[in-house]
Amino acid sequence: MTDYIWFLAKRAALLVAVIFFGVSAAFFITHLSPIDPVETALGRISSQASFSPQAIAEMRQTLTELYGTDAPVLSQYGNFWRRLLVGDLGPSLIAFPTPAMTLVMQAMPWTVALLVISTLITFVLGNLLGGLAGYNQNNALFKSLGMLAISLQPIPYYVVAFILLILFGFVWPVLPISGGYAMTVTPGLNLPFVLSVLNHAILPALSLVLVGFGSWFLGMRALVSNIVTEDYVTYAELAGVRKSTIVGSYVMRNALIPQITGLAMTLGTVFSGTVITEEVFNYPGLGSLLIDAVFEGDYALVLAVSSISVVAVAGAIFVVDLLYPLLDPRIRSE
Amino acid sequence: MSTLLDVRNVSKRFTTGGMMNRRSVQAVEKAGFAMSAEMPEIFTIIGESGSGKTTLARMILGLEEPSEGEILVQEKRVDGRAGRASRLDFMANVQPVFQNPFEAFNPLKRIDRYLESTARRFLPDPDRATIEAAMDAALQKVGLSLAEVGGRFPHEMSGGQLQRAAIARALIPNPRLLIADEPVPMVDASLRMSIVNLLRSLRDDYGVSVIYITHDLATAYYISDRLMIMQRGRIVEIGPGHAVLDTPEHPYSRLLKAGVLSTADAGAGRLSIDPDIIAAAETLSRRPGRLEDRDDGRRVMVHGSAPNAAG
Repeated sequence: MTDYIWFLAKRAALLVAVIFFGVSAAFFITHLSPIDPVETALGRISSQASFSPQAIAEMRQTLTELYGTDAPVLSQYGNFWRRLLVGDLGPSLIAFPTPAMTLVMQAMPWTVALLVISTLITFVLGNLLGGLAGYNQNNALFKSLGMLAISLQPIPYYVVAFILLILFGFVWPVLPISGGYAMTVTPGLNLPFVLSVLNHAILPALSLVLVGFGSWFLGMRALVSNIVTEDYVTYAELAGVRKSTIVGSYVMRNALIPQITGLAMTLGTVFSGTVITEEVFNYPGLGSLLIDAVFEGDYALVLAVSSISVVAVAGAIFVVDLLYPLLDPRIRSE
Repeated sequence: MSTLLDVRNVSKRFTTGGMMNRRSVQAVEKAGFAMSAEMPEIFTIIGESGSGKTTLARMILGLEEPSEGEILVQEKRVDGRAGRASRLDFMANVQPVFQNPFEAFNPLKRIDRYLESTARRFLPDPDRATIEAAMDAALQKVGLSLAEVGGRFPHEMSGGQLQRAAIARALIPNPRLLIADEPVPMVDASLRMSIVNLLRSLRDDYGVSVIYITHDLATAYYISDRLMIMQRGRIVEIGPGHAVLDTPEHPYSRLLKAGVLSTADAGAGRLSIDPDIIAAAETLSRRPGRLEDRDDGRRVMVHGSAPNAAG
């Protein structure tokens, strides 16, 4: 037990370090961006009406003070951490003065739900079918599934997303292709709203599932086809252990351990896939918010989205890490 | 005299490749031998990699179907596709020990749980006390104890200990026959002899017959009652262990013996083998032949009327 606590402490320290460096990287990348939020805001305002050059100069000065962009980058960095520790990420620049955090919190549930559900479906489906395919290598059905997985796996998220968009939006228009829910329903806990949300989530989720499925399937199939040749599986077969027990507790469980590592490692990639998918389907999640913020030069919001994503992905990896010793006895003695 | 194991003219042909490049490999060709049920013995199968010794063992275990011939264990035909009940019945009499002790156990399962489930499956009256007694007895036979093994995972034990535990697992059902497919190459040289001695004490003290598969002539010479030399799926020489290895007759047998490294030869810088023997063994492996009886109880493959190159 003390071993486990020690393990936990080490992983927690690592988590803190990852978050610190990730958030810092996000800060410096946004602050070195050539897009000046003050100029972008001025452009937006002056496109509405014409102002005298003097008024524009005054506005520029006010905005610069307000955004704090004239201070040296390092002191901005210090201020940023001071505010971040109390949960304040500053006001959004495009939706001024709404706090960036509020916008992030509005978008977050959409992304988390989409990501968690599609990752779970992909992981369970890919590993289950991949495991069975590795165990029944001569089965025609699993062989053709393998072909499907090989052909789907290298396609990028956005291509799959656009293909689905064309197929189900235009060729056979049965599913909504844009937004998180229909305009006609009122958000809240009522049946029409929930159904509408689910209906709108099908295509984005499907494009994430289709792309993710292949690599889980192929990985698991390879792992399992290695394990079935091990002597302990042969022995279990000899001893008349039931086939379902062999597949479940001798083969799949052992093959799942590297796959869990894989899950932790792909979470980040899946998140960036979600960003693109959300943009394609105009889904009201963090991805769409992030892209809008980047184009508007709203680096308070960009930073908020990226900081939250760093924390969320690192946190999820941390949780997967904690599960590890519970699954594999060999980790504990480390 | 009843037989424990009767291998009758067994052949196995593997077909590989698809429709375009179908090739078949004769892994075992017309192998036949028998082991008596009354007299426990250690029967050694020697041969290089690919000689068909492991395929033969897998057929005896029912993991492969023979293409021709049949194998009887205690007068019952070995059937790989038999149901669960007859499988268990078979496993109560015949148990395997595999080559790599690190692969013989599921790395995620505790070893004592393995022994326990084996005991539960094979003992007629499995209550807590008899299971523990059977586990401890089997472990004692191999020089371990339940206190040593209890609660440990495979990675927490050494290769030698694991191989002993694998043998202990095989001993729990009180089998009549143990099939040990190269049980020693993966363990340290120092532990090798203790495993080989263990096999010997299983024969002498517990009446277990052992089929010992190896390519190590030294240990084979040390423990075999009878041995059989295989080349490219064929038995080329079979007979009493010492008789065969003292004066091997078939060129391939002589090649094997000549290939044994001795520290004296190595020290003198002499590690090459007479090329004539190699050539003879190679040519004869492609020529048809049949087994002939000799006076000292061995049977040797003689190859037609063609002149025997190495005399």
